[in-house]
Amino acid sequence: MKANNVIVLAGQPNTGKSSIFNRLTGSNQHVGNWPGKTVEKKEGAFKFKGHLYQLVDLPGTYSLTANSAEEIITRDYIIKKHPDVLVVVVDASQLERTLYLAAETSMLPVKTIVALNMTDIAEREGRKICHEAMGKQMGVTVIPMVASKNIGFSELLEAIKKSVENHDPDERPIQQEFEGEVLARLNEVKGLIKGLVPSPFTEDWMALKLMEDDREVREIMRKRLGPDQCLHLDKIINNGLALLVADSRYKWIQKIIDASETKSHDTKSLLDKRNKFDKVATHPVWGIFVALGILFFAIVAAMSIGSLGLPFLKIVSLASDGARILLGPGPEWLSSMMADGLIVGVGIATALSFFLMGVFIVVGFLEDVGYLPRLAYVFDLFMHGIGLHGKSFMPFLMGFCCNISGVLGTRVVDSWRQRLITVLLIPIIPCYGIWAVVSFIGTIFLGVKTPMVVLALLITAALHLALTSFLLRRFIVKGESTGLIMELPPYHKPNFKTIWTYAWTNEKGYLKRGFSIIAMASFIVWFFSYFPEGKIETSFLASTGSFLNPIGNLMGCDWKLMAALIVSVMAKESALPAIAILYGTGQGLSSITGLASITSGGEHTHNELASILMQSISPESALAFLFALTFSIPCSATISVLYTETRSLKWTAGASAYYTLSSLVAGILAYQAALLIF
Amino acid sequence: MIPLTWLRAWEVGVVQDISGKPGFVSRISATGFSLNTEVKMIRNWKWGPLIIFLRDTQIALGRTEAGNIMVRKKSESK
Repeated sequence: MKANNVIVLAGQPNTGKSSIFNRLTGSNQHVGNWPGKTVEKKEGAFKFKGHLYQLVDLPGTYSLTANSAEEIITRDYIIKKHPDVLVVVVDASQLERTLYLAAETSMLPVKTIVALNMTDIAEREGRKICHEAMGKQMGVTVIPMVASKNIGFSELLEAIKKSVENHDPDERPIQQEFEGEVLARLNEVKGLIKGLVPSPFTEDWMALKLMEDDREVREIMRKRLGPDQCLHLDKIINNGLALLVADSRYKWIQKIIDASETKSHDTKSLLDKRNKFDKVATHPVWGIFVALGILFFAIVAAMSIGSLGLPFLKIVSLASDGARILLGPGPEWLSSMMADGLIVGVGIATALSFFLMGVFIVVGFLEDVGYLPRLAYVFDLFMHGIGLHGKSFMPFLMGFCCNISGVLGTRVVDSWRQRLITVLLIPIIPCYGIWAVVSFIGTIFLGVKTPMVVLALLITAALHLALTSFLLRRFIVKGESTGLIMELPPYHKPNFKTIWTYAWTNEKGYLKRGFSIIAMASFIVWFFSYFPEGKIETSFLASTGSFLNPIGNLMGCDWKLMAALIVSVMAKESALPAIAILYGTGQGLSSITGLASITSGGEHTHNELASILMQSISPESALAFLFALTFSIPCSATISVLYTETRSLKWTAGASAYYTLSSLVAGILAYQAALLIF
Repeated sequence: MIPLTWLRAWEVGVVQDISGKPGFVSRISATGFSLNTEVKMIRNWKWGPLIIFLRDTQIALGRTEAGNIMVRKKSESK
């Protein structure tokens, strides 16, 4: 026996697969990405009766046909990696549909156990299922469970152990039998591909997938079949065949249910039970009010959790001062590098981690209780305006707080194309850092007109979203657009352990990947704002600002504002300290530490800065600057997560270049318009 | 036969045909829609996606997608 057996978990979304994974592995888990894919890979290990088992959580997927990366990963893993045991998780309260994936695994060469989860909800809804009868019908072991209440785990572990130790070659995967036309066609296709199927695929499985017109399988087989055989295959496989295959699976599922359900429920009472809150939550008018109310509380909650990190900013500022004093006697660049570069970079990254934790906990909560899909439903119509569907709403909303959480939030979008488009659009959403600059600069230069400017920015953002989304869909991210097909799972009581695990694994992912990149990016900005002479006024940054003068002239921005625009790449709000330093009010601050002094430094700096700025910048230039800032290249932290989420330098660089251009265009247009209006 | 979008709230239909590209057919099959499936319309306002109840599950479905599903109206029940 192998010292380390591999167990895999598969199941449709919302079947409680993650709860089972989390309970089995506890903190002994690792989240990464599937090689070459942007799908999350969760692995862990657990011990049972002295044996160590490796547990792999396959992505949640409705079927095993090659429509998405999740589906391909799941089936490839089972076929090519030969796991010892496959545990298919099904939801007892939605048995008919969730058994579909189990039916799909029936042709795969792997020992299978079915975890019949959420039996408590099923019983509450009036249905009772005999797991023994169900197992007999399916030809495998079925374990009733309530994963959220820790029920059924020892039985599951025993079954896994038994299955691993049992060397009986006859021990089989789930057995689904076909009949009628499907069986006839299956045999016909099998005859056609006999001897041509590459290992490790099986003829049965390949034949069935060909009947379902599976993209990947079709391509594999077309290369091996002669032209006559291809023609023959086309004749056998027509459009309706996939429907017949699906139908035969549901018929088989119905047989299982008929044999194992000892008490049934009636649809009406079930709907009444499930529908109480939904009557309001999915109402086209009231649903929006409910959503806005819930979102308001969600944002307050996320902010309160995030604000726990605020005292940390003070510590950063103290540490920065401390480093300056401590390293004072040494070379100046060293103390500046520590105080203004490294400490500030790490400080920003840490403050962000608190903020993100708040967002993750709140999103985890909304997802766990089952509200998130309702939100997507209610706002679907709005998202249609920019060619996306409701699932992209939540990431956009999170983007208003912080673009990073918005980009990370796109993980709820299941189709890769739509997710990629959403990720690439997020930088258009003005984040809290931009609002800080807008309110500051706005009140100085534009006074009572500031709300109008905010409105203008929002309208421009909406138009920008529509235009960019159109360009992306039409010319760049080609492919079939998948419309909204989304399950609205029954509401659940929140399970805080699940929420915490969700938040913590996401946070860990950020700490591991994003943190170091953000800290490094801050360091790079420091480098360019310090060298060669140790002053921002004569730095590489300043020379770049001057170099951009011709463009700056078009948008009424002098080299200092252009340099501030470049600094804002570090963090949007760092444009403020940059302006302060460049216009000569931030005495003693050589670069970015000014951030803390302006955002928390009190009235003195504020007023001083205001009066100096009024003398050197015209309101038209200020307006142009705000537009250029809002629609500019995302901050370095967002660029980092753009990369970690798309896993592509091409998309990251492309988006950065596009938004640089968009910034300049927005700046120029705003300036020219302001010259006409003001 | 009528498209699924024609069913009003609380009307029940039986799926007769599903058309569209293979990707759509397989996705929609896996979420529960197949031949002879009984579906109940839960939400169908003049705009926005539909909510349909089938196989113990509520599914939100875009109007374009629902237009590819043909049903036979079964009965009206409240």
